[in-house]
Amino acid sequence: MDSLSAATAESFRLLFSGDAALWIIIFTSFSVSLRAILIAAPFAFVTAFFMAHLRYPGRRAMIAGFSALQSIPAVVVGLTVYLVLSRSGPLGDLQLLFTHSSMIIGQILLSFPLLVALSHAAFQAADRRVWETSITLGAKPYRAFLTLIHEIRFGLIAAFIAGFGRIIAEVGCSMMVGGNILGYTRNIPTAIALETTKGEFAQAIALGMVLLSMALLLNGMLSFFQGRGEMTA
Amino acid sequence: MSAIIHYSAMRKTVHQQLLLDIDTLEIHERACVALSGRNGAGKSTLMRIIAGLEVPDSVTVTFDGQTMPWQRAVQRMRTHVIYLHQNPYLFDRSVTDNIAYGLRHQKLAMKEISSKVAEALDWAGISHLQMRNARELSGGERQQVAFARARILRPRVLLLDEPMTNMDSEAREQTCRMIKRLKDDGVSILLATHEFHTVAHLCDAHLSLESGSLQPQSLESAGGERKIIPYG
Repeated sequence: MDSLSAATAESFRLLFSGDAALWIIIFTSFSVSLRAILIAAPFAFVTAFFMAHLRYPGRRAMIAGFSALQSIPAVVVGLTVYLVLSRSGPLGDLQLLFTHSSMIIGQILLSFPLLVALSHAAFQAADRRVWETSITLGAKPYRAFLTLIHEIRFGLIAAFIAGFGRIIAEVGCSMMVGGNILGYTRNIPTAIALETTKGEFAQAIALGMVLLSMALLLNGMLSFFQGRGEMTA
Repeated sequence: MSAIIHYSAMRKTVHQQLLLDIDTLEIHERACVALSGRNGAGKSTLMRIIAGLEVPDSVTVTFDGQTMPWQRAVQRMRTHVIYLHQNPYLFDRSVTDNIAYGLRHQKLAMKEISSKVAEALDWAGISHLQMRNARELSGGERQQVAFARARILRPRVLLLDEPMTNMDSEAREQTCRMIKRLKDDGVSILLATHEFHTVAHLCDAHLSLESGSLQPQSLESAGGERKIIPYG
């Protein structure tokens, strides 16, 4: 019990004393995950829009596929990206393995199905009159699309936050394709896993608190935006 | 009155059933035509086709005397024809932004947009609502915003899909007055309605959609005094 109290006290000291090693890990986590979600979200939203608004063969299978892929284990994505980027893999020449780029690729693949599935639900629930009103008032299709995005923004923000929440906390993929390299690819979840196995609980607790705060903040924001969506519908 | 748009051989199938089978339909300049028909007769579908929002199975379109393929006709329709839903959709932004929406796609100067919006607000008598979020307005106020938003674009044809449904008598009178003013401004109006008698005084012709085809109806039958103008 004493050691746990000491570790907790030490974790606060690390957090608030500006410990460089700790804050590099936190920075890496946010930098990688934010870049991944910012790249994935626009493509996911456009994909979801087409799935909701166009009729084409295989559409239902596509919707079901993205729904199913939401629950794909992070380690499976990690393994796939590892095999593709490893020296003997098809993209091995790019030498991306154990870099931020490989972590971003993995996190894009992890978040994409979730972003598509959740934003598809938002597009599907959107009022058809939004699109028709925009078009009949002279908007070009891409302008009408932006108007539609604005009208369902709370649903899309919720999808964005849920996607970010999924990748900021995942261990398996980042560990496999990032390599958990200190000061470079070590992020919050991989650092927690490593420090815990080493018995260095102070840093693990400090990082756990950051992750927990982030999870609470994201969920709070999610509830806020979902609440706003209901009120304005 | 010359025809702005002439549709011939318009066919539309929905769920394997022929919904529209219209030999000819003309929309004339400065005319107000009532379109009646039972629920599900295809009034809204017909209007959405005229607005270029829905694609018919087949149709021949002549716009200002020029016969053109559907895709080109759609471009013309989207410039000259505006469709107002039964419950017009107002975007989740201010009344001013809603009214300015169409102008913002026309590459006009901000000053010109502001002046046109001010004039449109004044025309509809809703200047006091300009900073309100459009979603917070009552049904009648929403209708006024929708009319102002359409009028500001100076359409040649306005398609009104049952604009007086679920309105009290005061809001109906207000809507009638706006339709009359639009007609006086030279806008051609096609007005879908279940209650022709309420708009008979505004109309130059009355068409009924029955079994997919358009049948001219007498205006006198609804208490009006005008004669039928041949449409189709």
